Amino acid sequence: MRSDFLSLRQVDKRFPVEDGELHVLDDISLNIRQGEFISIVGGSGCGKSTLLRLLVGLEQASGGSLQLDGAPIEGTDPERGIVFQDHRLYPWLTVEDNVLLALLNSPLSKAERLQRVHEHLRLVGLEAFARAWPAQLSGGMSQRVAIARGLVNRPKILLLDEPFGALDALTRAQLQEELARIWLAEGITTVLVTHDVDEAVFLGDRVVVMQPRPGKIGRIVEVDLPHPRHRDHPRLHELRSDILRDFARH
Amino acid sequence: MNTTLVRSPLFAGRRWPNLVPPLRWLALKSCALLLPAALLLLWHTAVVRQWVSAQILPPPSLVLETLLTLWHSGDLWFELSISLQRVLIGAAMGSVLGLLLGLSMGLSRRVEAYLLPLFQAISQVPVLGWIPLLMMLVGIDETLKYLVIAHAVLVPLTINTFSGIRAIPPSYLEVAQVYRFNLAQRLRRVILPAALPSLFTGLRFALTKGWIALVTVELLASSEGLGYLMVDGRQMFQLDQVIVAMLMVGLVGLVLDKGLALLETRLQRWQRQAF
Ligand SMILES: Nc1ncnc2c1ncn2[C@@H]1O[C@H](COP(=O)(O)OP(=O)(O)O)[C@@H](O)[C@H]1O
Ligand SMILES: [Mg+2]
Repeated sequence: MRSDFLSLRQVDKRFPVEDGELHVLDDISLNIRQGEFISIVGGSGCGKSTLLRLLVGLEQASGGSLQLDGAPIEGTDPERGIVFQDHRLYPWLTVEDNVLLALLNSPLSKAERLQRVHEHLRLVGLEAFARAWPAQLSGGMSQRVAIARGLVNRPKILLLDEPFGALDALTRAQLQEELARIWLAEGITTVLVTHDVDEAVFLGDRVVVMQPRPGKIGRIVEVDLPHPRHRDHPRLHELRSDILRDFARH
Repeated sequence: MNTTLVRSPLFAGRRWPNLVPPLRWLALKSCALLLPAALLLLWHTAVVRQWVSAQILPPPSLVLETLLTLWHSGDLWFELSISLQRVLIGAAMGSVLGLLLGLSMGLSRRVEAYLLPLFQAISQVPVLGWIPLLMMLVGIDETLKYLVIAHAVLVPLTINTFSGIRAIPPSYLEVAQVYRFNLAQRLRRVILPAALPSLFTGLRFALTKGWIALVTVELLASSEGLGYLMVDGRQMFQLDQVIVAMLMVGLVGLVLDKGLALLETRLQRWQRQAF
């Protein structure tokens, strides 16, 4: 397994604003192993979403390079799946059709696509809701559908932008377990952006701690615990306190 | 009190607490008929007591009689079908053009920059204001009616399509970008469904306006149609015929609007599906 499956080199991002430009990301360098789960944690406004948008191809870097599996990242591509904080399901389509839409430009046959959709709805435990409308789903269920949609193209990496940020604590914990299970089952390289340090250490093989204005990598914390993990493991608490101390200092 | 009755806060089962739901629904709906019934009674009384001369205001019974006569002779259906045909052709022309205009302005800032100011200026002139100029240009034949209706339909439909597209959340379009939809896929899968509610609002409003515009132009320049039936009735001092035509105009307008509303709810099943 290559250690620079996903590779960011001196990535820089600036947005033009009224009085000049806003420096959002500064000198982001990071190598991610194939199959690794990376958590990126940082306060609001430190450029986490921007970083993910660069990775998915919705924004272009102002400097530096981003590569996936040896090829430069340019524009969006089905080999990079994303789950946004707001599930972004289309309300006029059923659950099944929402996921199916992600395969609109795939070379698969119609039957294969449907099979693929149901396989992924089963993966997130929502096969029974294939014909439901998004308005009928709870926040947690919608986010599961979004995960199924993010995975249905069998991407090389899965990007998640605070996917559980809007959920209540119980549902959030449940979906974190679910995500860990899916990640173990699929073995997919995953980048999770969050402002929840507990979530970051519980799920990540490594936790990238970001600092604001401009957003840069503060440090990278190795979470040396095998999966599946137990949420109450003392080591997780240690790491969490350690990272939180970091935030308190800045 | 039965708890299943407490649904709508306004009619929380207070008025007819003892009726079963279908009957209560009927009771609620028949409220809409109370005022018309009262007006009818007033009308009748006014004629019978000779508050107004029967030459000026014919009694309801005569209007009904005229309605039936005109219907059975086929005259009413003839004028009605002419008007309907005009409004359908004109509205179809205006709708296609309005959709295209609204879509292209909604999709492209450049087209918007070129067209929107002119369009807004043109739409400030009321439909009636166009009739004299159009009469000079195309005469008073069918083309005039089509153009007047088309124009009446065009303005609200363009504006609603345009603003409906501009109101689509960027996040919906980003999803389309993530899955690399081309323009046709974006239109069909995202833009049109997302703009559909506002498109329908535009269409309903447009059709109502188009229908009114038609009757107006028929009053001014026509030898057929419901508007003409009114003019004809007035000239021959047959107010019963005028009132019959008015009733038909109102009825058709209502049916057109309700028909579109029904179509809208059918197309937007997903909006009614929340728990
Ligand atoms: N398209 C944009 N134009 C201008 N500024 C932007 C744009 N996108 C994000 N920003 C700014 O970049 C900074 C980082 O935003 P974001 O990446 O959303 O942070 P986070 O996700 O960590 O909260 C914020 O100050 C935000 O206002
Ligand atoms: Mg964010």
